[in-house]
Amino acid sequence: MPSEISEENCFVALTTDLLDAKQIMDRVRSTTRDNFAGKPVKELEYTSYEPRALQSMLTICKAIVEKHSLTSIAMIHRLGIVPIAEESILIAVSSPHRQAAWKAGEEALEECKQKVEVWKKEEFGGEEGGVWRANRDGATGVRVEKGEEERPAQGPHGPILRPKVPGERGHGAVVRPNAL
Amino acid sequence: MSSSTKAPAGHFTILYFASASSHTSKSSEFFAAPLPISKLFPKLEDQYQGFKAKVLDSSLVTVNLEYVDIPDTPAEDEFMIKEGDEVAIIPPVSSG
Repeated sequence: MPSEISEENCFVALTTDLLDAKQIMDRVRSTTRDNFAGKPVKELEYTSYEPRALQSMLTICKAIVEKHSLTSIAMIHRLGIVPIAEESILIAVSSPHRQAAWKAGEEALEECKQKVEVWKKEEFGGEEGGVWRANRDGATGVRVEKGEEERPAQGPHGPILRPKVPGERGHGAVVRPNAL
Repeated sequence: MSSSTKAPAGHFTILYFASASSHTSKSSEFFAAPLPISKLFPKLEDQYQGFKAKVLDSSLVTVNLEYVDIPDTPAEDEFMIKEGDEVAIIPPVSSG
């Protein structure tokens, strides 16, 4: 039987039971970001180029294992409609060293967000329709409806902060699979 | 989105994702092969007005799951898209 106390958004407990990751994650679920630039997001929808995305995820994982001397790593991304407050990605790592594990987990997430061929559409509800998000600069993405000509002056996917390098088309450096 | 879409003889498959799919209102289609890679964006712009500025200029391209460079001008020895190839337009990604 767990003994527990909680105050506002903090929950603490002691137990002799088996620890259940999902149960404790459920305790913090309501803190997930549910708006973009003040607009409430109703739900997210993810689509993917699946075989390409899996290759990129594997390449990232192998590089992270090597770099941080991990024992192992697992990465999974959810596709389709994901209600607000449900996870879209989970990364688990095991490592002999605690600090390396934290660092590796964060780095794996950043790499995933930059490189994996998964696209997020944010549904705001109402008449506005969904918006394809781009993981760069926190800029508003491309509205789904056709025929609207309103573009941000700085480019289709947000401000360009540095000149393009050859072969780059707005993603950052060109990804070479197996060359991380 | 399936990548097993089989192109008819003499054609390649092109896959559209995210904003590319919204702009074309398609997830995939077939084009005649072979096609030099430098001709791909002009051909797509012909078919879908405004596609280049709105989507392609910020997109990458894969052929059979490998990223390829898109030259700005045609070259003698440039990459050719072959019959049966699977080409994909990859807009800026947004996982997580």
